[in-house]
Amino acid sequence: MEGCPRNKETCPKLLDLIPQGRKWYQEEKNNTDQENKLELRLAPPGGDEEATSAMTKKKIETRNNTKKEAEDKSLFNLSGNHFSPPKNTTYNPHISLKRTAPGPVVGWPPVRSFRKNLANTISSKLGNESSLGGQVNKSGDCEKQVQPSKREGMFVKINMDSVPIGRKVDLNAYNSYEHLSFAVDKLFRGLLAAQRDTSGGEGEEKPIIGLLDGKGEFTLTYEDNEGDKMLVGDVPWQMFVSSVKRLRVIKSSEISSALRFGCSKQQKMRA
Amino acid sequence: MNYFPDEVIEHIFDFIASHKDRNSISLVSKSWHKIERCSRKKVFIGNCYAINPERLIERFPSLRSLTLKGKPHFADFNLVPHEWGGFVHPWIDALAKARVGLEELRLKRMVVSDESLELLSRSFASFKSLVLVSCEGFTTDGLASIAANCRHLRELDLQENEIEDHRGQWLNCFPETSTALTSLNFSCLKGETNLAALERLVARSPNLESLKVNRAVPLDALTRLMSCAPQLVDLGVGSYENEPDQESFVKLMDAIKKCTELRSLSGFSEVAPLCLTAFYPICENLTSLNLSYAAEIQGNHLVRFIQFCKRLQRLWILDSIGDKGLEVVASTCKELQELRVFPSDLHDEEDNDTAVTEIGLVAISAGCPKLHSILYFCKQMTNAALITVAKNCPNFIRFRLCILEPNKPDHTTSQSLDEGFGAIVQACKGLRRLSVSGLLTDKVFLYIGMYAEQLEMLSIAFAGDTDKGMLYVLNGCKKMRKLEIRDSPFGNAALLADVDKYRTMRSLWMSSCEVTLGGCKRLARNAPWLNVEIINENENNDLMERNEEDEREKVDRLYLYRTVVGARKDAPPCVTIL
Repeated sequence: MEGCPRNKETCPKLLDLIPQGRKWYQEEKNNTDQENKLELRLAPPGGDEEATSAMTKKKIETRNNTKKEAEDKSLFNLSGNHFSPPKNTTYNPHISLKRTAPGPVVGWPPVRSFRKNLANTISSKLGNESSLGGQVNKSGDCEKQVQPSKREGMFVKINMDSVPIGRKVDLNAYNSYEHLSFAVDKLFRGLLAAQRDTSGGEGEEKPIIGLLDGKGEFTLTYEDNEGDKMLVGDVPWQMFVSSVKRLRVIKSSEISSALRFGCSKQQKMRA
Repeated sequence: MNYFPDEVIEHIFDFIASHKDRNSISLVSKSWHKIERCSRKKVFIGNCYAINPERLIERFPSLRSLTLKGKPHFADFNLVPHEWGGFVHPWIDALAKARVGLEELRLKRMVVSDESLELLSRSFASFKSLVLVSCEGFTTDGLASIAANCRHLRELDLQENEIEDHRGQWLNCFPETSTALTSLNFSCLKGETNLAALERLVARSPNLESLKVNRAVPLDALTRLMSCAPQLVDLGVGSYENEPDQESFVKLMDAIKKCTELRSLSGFSEVAPLCLTAFYPICENLTSLNLSYAAEIQGNHLVRFIQFCKRLQRLWILDSIGDKGLEVVASTCKELQELRVFPSDLHDEEDNDTAVTEIGLVAISAGCPKLHSILYFCKQMTNAALITVAKNCPNFIRFRLCILEPNKPDHTTSQSLDEGFGAIVQACKGLRRLSVSGLLTDKVFLYIGMYAEQLEMLSIAFAGDTDKGMLYVLNGCKKMRKLEIRDSPFGNAALLADVDKYRTMRSLWMSSCEVTLGGCKRLARNAPWLNVEIINENENNDLMERNEEDEREKVDRLYLYRTVVGARKDAPPCVTIL
């Protein structure tokens, strides 16, 4: 592209044309650093690292705070005013914390609501189970409604200890942990009873309760998209839905071992 | 001192329609100012809070046509609370009280109530035209008042509004004597339609040129409608999920064949492929085609249809058309001026091979020399493609590219898209509107500031690194009117650098950026002619009660605009005007 200033030497001249006249070319280095960051990255295009580097400039996680403060200080020195960086970075619910799979962002992509509903119609017709129930929320809080409620079915596998048959649940059909817990009970109650029957147990169906508080015989755990095993119930529901990859109902007595040793394969090997 | 009598000057002014030109005229001299304002018939107000109705009426007593816009653009994407404002009632009220001879009202993103519509319908005997775009707050009862009371109604055009449908008989409310309709668009109504009333209305409206029905009008009704209105120029059809039987199909096609004046086709919220083929006879006459609601239709059917549309100037389509489909468009539609490609799959669940990429965009730019407006949603882009597009199409006036994933770089080089967009602004010297996306650093804004001299509206999301980015734009783009920014690291330094710049702009929107409450307060102090609005999600937030500490608090959403009437009084609790 002609006239395009790739060359560092020409850049200061072009910047001089801008009437403001501040000495921003000192910041040139930072820009180049930014580009270098992009070039040196080994991550796939559009992957984690770019997103992270771009997002560290924005207010998100507190653990990035110190690094950000340093950058902010140099930036604000420019204008001669010193704005000290905020002590509390407000958690911004808009920007997704996910780095691998970008979660739903409010108001993005910039299409009108009726077009988003249209898109849902398409997905549902493509054979996925749809959960089109969600109307566009008209209240002022509609920004808080995260998109998953409008997606096609979000099926994850669920297995239960001592039950050989696994099932699948559509997480979009639920809106809370309690709801999910009930569903798990319904799914496995009969199967569990059948298992116990054959192994000489009582055979009557007992409700599966206490999945979330550790008080029941069983506890619900999940594996997230980073492969970590976690107890269900610790994070906000929507965050859970956007990170969960599979579910497992384990015996409460085996919680500590199940969670410490990452994958179930290892667990089986130990047992 | 004028060389001609006032009447002559006024007559000369009559030939000048553009608002900008008339605004310029009124600055020439006191005499011209007076003649101009007394003869002005049409007024456009881009921000309803920049002025109030009383001052409007005082200045333009002969007002006949008023256009008003309310909420900021990002309200379309749910970033503005519904109760934010933009109420039309005070305007209608004031105009009615002053007995202005209003004939035409066009509203965009405003809140309209049934009471307002009723008042409107009763207050202006010569009222002819009502156009509502992206408005809300009313029901079909309001429409009934308009239908019943506006004796001279010619145009009722409802585009993409949120209307509560009471499934009433509003269409029945058009009196039998009403025969002046030229345009009727109720495509956004969700409920059932009284087909008999509609057919009678269309039958007694020989001047009807534009008819856009809603989903509930079935195929046989459409056939009858078209049969009694072969003069139609602009048709919006309903939803036709099921394939028609042979007889219906033949009747439909016969009716369509008679509509030799038909130039514009839209609707098709669902359409079985066979239905689409019924329109083949008039394809070659079409200049405007909107198939962007046709969710189910597969790319190949779309392509087959478009192949016949050689005179197309405007095309709105879904990305299910694919790159291959766009290549067909490029080779067929040599008259194409405006293209919009909307996303059909928003969830990125699968690797959608049929969606569009940079290849389709390049093909269009190469094949359509008259292209000047584009809105393009895609999953990936490259600098090389954008550079090629810029070379092929230096005539862009509107260039809006939306890469669905925020911060996505050039997928072949992993670099930012600065160079690509830079090429666009450098080549397209007449560019007035630009939306950028993908991975972008401050550099792209340097280019925009340098080259985009005619740029009036810029939309930024997830872009830039430092305040410099925003400053390049504010300093460089002399004609900037509307700047909207979200999720970008621009803060107080950029916001406050040149306060007087905002005198030349209509508005600035910043959400999820780095500006703080302190910065906004400071701006408000330095610019009393600005309304600086802070919008908070938590309605119970009373910002003014917070202590000094919280000046460092980041502002969730900032919307500022110049105004001559000070802070508005109708702001809801979630909005604080500093």
